[in-house]
Amino acid sequence: MAATVKVLTKPPRTLADQAYVPAIASGLRLTMGRFFKNTFSSREDGEIVTLMYPEETEAYPERFRGIHRLTQRADGSPRCVACLCCSTACPAQCIHIEAGEYDESDPRHGYERYPVTFVIDELRCIFCGYCVEACPCDAIRMDTGAHMPPSTSRDHFLYDKETLLSLPGRDGSYLTANPRHEPGDPSHPGVDRERGH
Amino acid sequence: MSTFTLNGREIPFEAGETIMQAAWRAGIEIPHYCWHPGLSVAANCRMCLVHIESGRQMAMPIVKWDEKKKAYVPDTKPKLTPACQQTAGEGMVISSESDEVKRAQASVQELLLLNHPVDCPICDQAGECKLQDYYYEHQSTAKRKLTEPVHKPKGVRFGPTIVYDAERCIMCTRCIRVCDELAGDHVLDMRERGNRNEITLAQGRELDHRYTLMTEHVCPVGALTSRDFRFKARVWFLKSQEGVCSGCATGCNTHVDFDPRYGKVYRLRPRDNMAVNKFWMCDDGMMTYRRQTEDRVLAATVGRGDARVPAFGDEPFARAAAQLGAVTPNKIGVVLSAQHSNEDNYALAQLAKKLGTTKLYLAKLDAEREGWVADAILRSADPNPNTAGARLAAGGALDETTEDLLQDILGGEVEAVIALGAASLETLAELEALTKLDAVVSLTSHVGALPATASVVLPVASVFETHGTFVNAKGAHQGFRRAVASQPGVEPGWKTVAKLAEALGHDLGLGGLQDIRSKLAAAAGAGATAGGAEARA
Repeated sequence: MAATVKVLTKPPRTLADQAYVPAIASGLRLTMGRFFKNTFSSREDGEIVTLMYPEETEAYPERFRGIHRLTQRADGSPRCVACLCCSTACPAQCIHIEAGEYDESDPRHGYERYPVTFVIDELRCIFCGYCVEACPCDAIRMDTGAHMPPSTSRDHFLYDKETLLSLPGRDGSYLTANPRHEPGDPSHPGVDRERGH
Repeated sequence: MSTFTLNGREIPFEAGETIMQAAWRAGIEIPHYCWHPGLSVAANCRMCLVHIESGRQMAMPIVKWDEKKKAYVPDTKPKLTPACQQTAGEGMVISSESDEVKRAQASVQELLLLNHPVDCPICDQAGECKLQDYYYEHQSTAKRKLTEPVHKPKGVRFGPTIVYDAERCIMCTRCIRVCDELAGDHVLDMRERGNRNEITLAQGRELDHRYTLMTEHVCPVGALTSRDFRFKARVWFLKSQEGVCSGCATGCNTHVDFDPRYGKVYRLRPRDNMAVNKFWMCDDGMMTYRRQTEDRVLAATVGRGDARVPAFGDEPFARAAAQLGAVTPNKIGVVLSAQHSNEDNYALAQLAKKLGTTKLYLAKLDAEREGWVADAILRSADPNPNTAGARLAAGGALDETTEDLLQDILGGEVEAVIALGAASLETLAELEALTKLDAVVSLTSHVGALPATASVVLPVASVFETHGTFVNAKGAHQGFRRAVASQPGVEPGWKTVAKLAEALGHDLGLGGLQDIRSKLAAAAGAGATAGGAEARA
């Protein structure tokens, strides 16, 4: 098929175009109009769509998970038992845990181990939530609804045990929903040979 | 040979063997907890119940729920037999997969898990636990018990090496039998009955004989855990490689368990070899992984004392060659090591030959100084894994030790030393004569008295970082394989020797491991392939 060529004629320049000044004036009218609107009106008027980030932040949707936190027991100790299920499930391999044992005089000795170190590299994390699903004791959650505050150093994104424990959930809670009766708790039936069963 | 039929398959057996033994030898696993090929029969876990369908059938009266009558009606079921205890008979027809047997297995499994705490996430056995495996294989039903499980002591210190958890224990008594039958020390026993049953120590005793870690090794669940390995790693991250214990001249076969992500060895486990260690290892042998991974030499150094500085690339070899070159070659003493593999020793012996020196010595550990105690079970009188191999590599008796080396240095017959390994009979103070020599080249994987005297230290790979062969006290050649990678710049001993030879202007003509091994095998003659695990490249 032979190519068809459509010839377009260039619109002729008017005198106003040729003079430039009216076009500049109409552009400046828009710019200055926005300048005064932004200066003298507020977000509530519906005139402004941008945010004064980071002083102001947008409320995230309800299902937004946010960064991790470690839940606490009633006594403030971490609920985590350092089982490494989360770091096993983690596809980004961003969780590093070293397990330790409670002292022999501690009533939890034998029942629990605990994380001596618990570090999440939040920059490496892909926020998939597998760690939360893998956790057998509701020790790690992603319900803070917050994202990491920006920082100038990569080291600041290595969140350690204390940082993770200090983060509250969206509802402000720190406690785990799965306390399980621990040795020493009144609900626990008692285990040692002397006291019987 | 007589045979019986198990699940439709002919299994040969020898007179007196049990069904379980014959099936195990044929590679069929009848589910079991308390039976262990190396221990006596207890038949208390009841997991290995099978149905012997031939011969006179015994029926047990039971009651069965009848849906139509809405009542229990009398019925019978066949009496099942524990396969671990029943001696196999000619022509027996046995089923370990019939409906009755499956029901029995599921019931046993349910009983064992009745009071189990199911604390798998914090249990070190998780991932290699028979309760877990058999739950998926033979039970897979939800827990029916709604009441609180019986609680028993947890984290009980049994001794310097073992921690006991009574809640996880299934009372198979394997640990008791290991103490009785392997170690010959009746230190463990049971107390109480039923769901209060627990393993306990003999009064006033600790679990402290030389084979305590074997109790943990045979424990099919997480009841006994090793204090050394406890909480260090999850077993599903670990990979395993074939090794040979470097603790003594018995040369027990091992699994070297390491984490490939960090290149770190976490533990040793005995590897079955009926000709050498059967199923077992001693505690000291199990802990040699520590000695092998700690106190490593990871970089070459030049100089002595405060003047000792790291050296890189070809520089340390050039320095060593320059120092050795200043001495008449036949006055160079060459020290082979009973702690190093055949291959390393062979390469060094070849270098001695090229240099034209006949002054060969053997560095080894002394049993008395190391506090090494031999026994009639596994522990050899010689705490060196490869004394025989070093002698083989030297092509002679090699009775000269480092003591003779010191004599020869004082007598002026030796003016320079090339030494393999860190182990020696002497302390640093006793080796003072070496520090007076200008040229002492040490090829070592670890720090020690011998390398401390050296003017040039060249790092070599440890037994976990290289392939090699040990010859045990009985003359069996046993190969071990590389588990983890060595640090950059650290090469196997024989390669480092070849590099040193090159710097000295000699070509050892070592083609590779296979080449060295075939030459060694030729030297050793027919004895080279005797024993268990063969050397493999």
